[in-house]
Amino acid sequence: MGNDYSLTCKNLTLFTVSSVVIQIIGLYLFIVGFFPVKPSLSGMSGFESFYPPADNSIHLDNNISTWPPEKLKSLYQELSGVPPLYDRLIFMVIDGLPAEFLLGKDGKPPPKVFMEAMPYTQSLLASGLAIGYHAKAAPPTVTMPRLKAMVSGAIGGFLDVASNFNTQAFLEDNLIAQFHRIGWKMMMLGDETWLKLFPNMFDKHDGVSSFFVKDTIEVDYNVSRHLTNELCHTDNDLLILHYLGLDHVGHIGGRNSALMSPKLMEMDRVIERIHSTLVQEMKQRGTLLVVVSDHGMTDGGNHGGSSYEETDSVALFISAEKISDAENIKEAYQVDIASTLALLFGVPIPKNNVGTVMTDVFSSFRAEQQLRILELNSWQLLRLLQTHFTEFECARFSCESGSGKNDGAERFCCSYLAANELHESWKSKNSLRSTNRDDYLSIVMAYHDFLGIASKWLSSRSTDKPFVQLALGIAAMLLSCLVLMSLLFLLVRGNNFQGSENVSSSDDKTHKWHLEEFFIVAVMCILVLSMASSSMVEEEQYIWHFMTSSFYLILLRKTIHSTTSGSALTLTSGKKVRKIHSICCIIAVLVCRRVLRGWHQGGVNWSYLPDISKLLEQAGTVSIKSLHLLSLVLVVITFSAVLLAMRLRIELVLFLLLIYFIPVLIVLEQILKYQDGTFTSSSIQSTTMIQIFYALIGTITVGILLSLPWLIPIRDPKTSKDITTRASSDALQESQCELRSIRDVIFVIGWCYSFSWSLLQLLLQQPINSMPTYLLLSQVLATLYYFSDGGIHLKHWTKVAALYYLGMAGHFGLGNTNTLATIDVAGAFIGMSSHSTVISGILMFIITYASPMLALLSTLMDVSMVDARTLANSQYVDFGHLLKETLGYPCLVPLGLNSVVLLAYTIVLLVMRNHLFVWSVFSPKYLYVCGTTACVYIGVSFMALTVTYACIVRYYRHRL
Amino acid sequence: MQQPMQEAKSPESINANTLFASIRMLLLLHLACGLGLALAFLVAVDFRSLTLIQNPAQTLFTVWAADALIVIPVFSQFRLDPDKCSYVKAIVRGLMGLPAGALVNALGAIVLGAPVGIQHFKKTVHWSLLMSVFTFVPAASVFGSSWTDWHRIFAHSKFSLVQMFRPMRPIDFIICLPAHGAIIGAWFGAWPMPLDWERPWQEWPICVTYGAILGYLIGVIASFGFVVYYNRQHHAKRD
Repeated sequence: MGNDYSLTCKNLTLFTVSSVVIQIIGLYLFIVGFFPVKPSLSGMSGFESFYPPADNSIHLDNNISTWPPEKLKSLYQELSGVPPLYDRLIFMVIDGLPAEFLLGKDGKPPPKVFMEAMPYTQSLLASGLAIGYHAKAAPPTVTMPRLKAMVSGAIGGFLDVASNFNTQAFLEDNLIAQFHRIGWKMMMLGDETWLKLFPNMFDKHDGVSSFFVKDTIEVDYNVSRHLTNELCHTDNDLLILHYLGLDHVGHIGGRNSALMSPKLMEMDRVIERIHSTLVQEMKQRGTLLVVVSDHGMTDGGNHGGSSYEETDSVALFISAEKISDAENIKEAYQVDIASTLALLFGVPIPKNNVGTVMTDVFSSFRAEQQLRILELNSWQLLRLLQTHFTEFECARFSCESGSGKNDGAERFCCSYLAANELHESWKSKNSLRSTNRDDYLSIVMAYHDFLGIASKWLSSRSTDKPFVQLALGIAAMLLSCLVLMSLLFLLVRGNNFQGSENVSSSDDKTHKWHLEEFFIVAVMCILVLSMASSSMVEEEQYIWHFMTSSFYLILLRKTIHSTTSGSALTLTSGKKVRKIHSICCIIAVLVCRRVLRGWHQGGVNWSYLPDISKLLEQAGTVSIKSLHLLSLVLVVITFSAVLLAMRLRIELVLFLLLIYFIPVLIVLEQILKYQDGTFTSSSIQSTTMIQIFYALIGTITVGILLSLPWLIPIRDPKTSKDITTRASSDALQESQCELRSIRDVIFVIGWCYSFSWSLLQLLLQQPINSMPTYLLLSQVLATLYYFSDGGIHLKHWTKVAALYYLGMAGHFGLGNTNTLATIDVAGAFIGMSSHSTVISGILMFIITYASPMLALLSTLMDVSMVDARTLANSQYVDFGHLLKETLGYPCLVPLGLNSVVLLAYTIVLLVMRNHLFVWSVFSPKYLYVCGTTACVYIGVSFMALTVTYACIVRYYRHRL
Repeated sequence: MQQPMQEAKSPESINANTLFASIRMLLLLHLACGLGLALAFLVAVDFRSLTLIQNPAQTLFTVWAADALIVIPVFSQFRLDPDKCSYVKAIVRGLMGLPAGALVNALGAIVLGAPVGIQHFKKTVHWSLLMSVFTFVPAASVFGSSWTDWHRIFAHSKFSLVQMFRPMRPIDFIICLPAHGAIIGAWFGAWPMPLDWERPWQEWPICVTYGAILGYLIGVIASFGFVVYYNRQHHAKRD
């Protein structure tokens, strides 16, 4: 025997498990490195932000929401000790304006064209009425995350998006919410992103869509037309103007577009208009105009990445009075805007702010007020730091000047304590009127020292990508992928070797690669290549459908070929009928696939095109409901038919059908009850029923898995006789019989898994998806039937890969896409009486990965139909050999294919990290890839456990 | 069990002399195929001033009709059984093969994801008729309903050149390679369709048609090469 080639079962298991473990470690390293999870504080900061963080003695009435806004406002002012200079804010966002246009670069003034385009703003800067900052933005430089950064001072990670994908509303602590709390009247004009982020916060708004990039005039006119009216109305405290035109100009023609100067002039006129109003109204109320941009742009006008041109955004503070006397172009970070504005307007700094206050804006404040501002900022950062360290007791550290400052908690603490100490002594001296300028400056230095390191550390936690870690992650994934592929290769080679020795027929075809085997590999290659293109990722459903259908067309051609080749004349009529059956099976799969493709248009670019689900939704609830019922009936009939076709003992069949009776009834009841778009989740009775259903389905599945292998041979003795009589010797007959009974057991367990899964899907999926669920099931079953026909040589690994592809193609047939928007959140709460993130997550996973999981679970049924030759011929059926033969491919093929996809996509994501669509297209897709990986792990381990358990029990019984 | 491919019905049954006499004719036939397609486009563009992008359905109609007018009579000359089957009968066979092949091609395209709306119906019909002219019609004209010949041409499942060539005659190359080229070309031609380039030619069935024509022409050139090669080898063998 080819022991040189063949792996033992033990080695195979060992290598597979270890490579999976390596893969998990690599994936973990990569995800943690690429999507840093920063601990963020929930809730909003209140009074506690005006007290030192360590001070736990003060028990505050934290129920701020009950306070009347006016009272809260005055209390904030009293506590902060900093009188607000302004009481009205005009926040003007010029989308995509690089700071270079206004402030120049590296100390040089901006290009002459831009200087001339914005004369008024330049004069403001020159006269000290305005103070300008290069406000460095953090990637991704796209609008929504940048707006969030400006109002909250926090840099969000990508996974934040994933954690609250059910709402776009911004839930973290932010300035808008703080202003809302103190009763400000707010008004928003411009980009409707604000309205999505802050629903119900604005008293008046007029949003424009940023979708029509070609339009550079109307978007801005729509904002400016309200200006005259709103500037005179002094009843709003916050006016947000978001001008999109400049970004659109950039997208069309880049930085040096001919439209750029006119657009800048337009913006300059708007600033002039607002500023003149400011000056007029100076006596009545102090208004601050803040002009910011959310991000810059490259020379070509694009943005999203992390180059200097893209991150160079601007922040201008413009007042009616002189606010700056020194050199007025500064460097800062975009996140600094939030804390600066919070302190200027006397509200608590948002909890997750990582920015430091822009001190130059406060230069007209008195010394102790300026120190107070720094102190408040330090306290807030210290609070945030506390969440990053488990032990953050500043009193613990002895910060003597001699001891080298370590990284981490001690360093921050010492730095803070140094500043604090100086400040305290200054305060006591100040009351004695014995302070001097040098003391003051040293305190400011000390605070800046702390704020600098703390802010840098906190913000780097969320943007810097640790390349060593990422490389390690990828290396681990590469290693596991190589191990899995080489295991697969060895297994294929071992089988070929064995095949040629054992199988007496001299056909050398087992060594040759057939067209469909090439195609399986080609599908993988094409898929991996297509992933580098963002539009192919968006429209992945086309690829899967096209490739899977092409694969089945190849199978169809092959089957017709083998049917009609000359040898077919010699076949018996029974075999011919079977051939025709298998042709029908393939055609059924193809038809199901096409209907599934037409069910949901899917994707991004053509999702508006008509499809079956839209037609049904127009047709109304009745037709959807009847389809839902029909699919339930069809599922039950199909599964019963499969069971009956297996010719098992009739008692067993009846028993199996009987125990599924109640779950089916519950599903039926829920379908009938279903009304108008949502399950009546409020009714306690239906919730209880669904919980009973979950329990029943779980119990039945586990029960059958545990008990079935212990039962006596389950095949009907009459039919099994004629099969076994063919075996010549008694020993062979016995081993064959044994094998057959194991396979029957595995088949029934696989049947049971698939049935339970399908029923679960019929309950959980949206009603519109009930028919696709049945179609998925029927194509899987048709494929299995086709495979069970040994008429044509399909290698085992081809079969498993085909099932896997079918599952992946079906994933998109259920309306899933590679955006997070299509995840069915509503379904995740079916049958839940109280909110639980874990259970909702599990349900969401079950709904989303319905199709790949069904394919993997039904692979069990295929396992039982493994080509009998390799097993039966060997008289020495030992346990390990049996397991290897049955489980080798079904476990390795999905794991191997998935590891290739995972590795390829990880590399794509790393390469594309500066791509414009990295956060909108590639990262969501990566989450789906990770989900698929988890799905494969779960499915494969289910398969392995089931088969191993069944074999162990059978073996044990055999030996008794 | 799959049996090895049957090789009994091989070229011996055909008179070798007539076979080689017609080699030159076959090359002419190739020329006719290529020119026919070019002519068809010429008719479409110049005489009816149609382009594939603006009026796909009419253009496709013109192309397949013009091409069929050339392909059917030319291939009917090379009918496999000239003793039993008259020229007219071969032409009728070709004409009958046209809708049958169109049906198969259309079903194949729809299964692979071609749109099925009413607004696409005409385009799909004309496209599949063109594909039928490329694939089915020559075979129908030459072989009629001889199942074994059809089988030999269209149902190879091996990637083995040796097996591919053993049972082949020159006429087989001329039918088989362009037909496969057209199908594979159309398959690859569908690839740009889901991309968001917003080009007019990404519509069904324009780029698929381009792919098919390209594949067909490659097939014609390749089969030309094979025929020349085959011819030379057989001459060498005779010497």
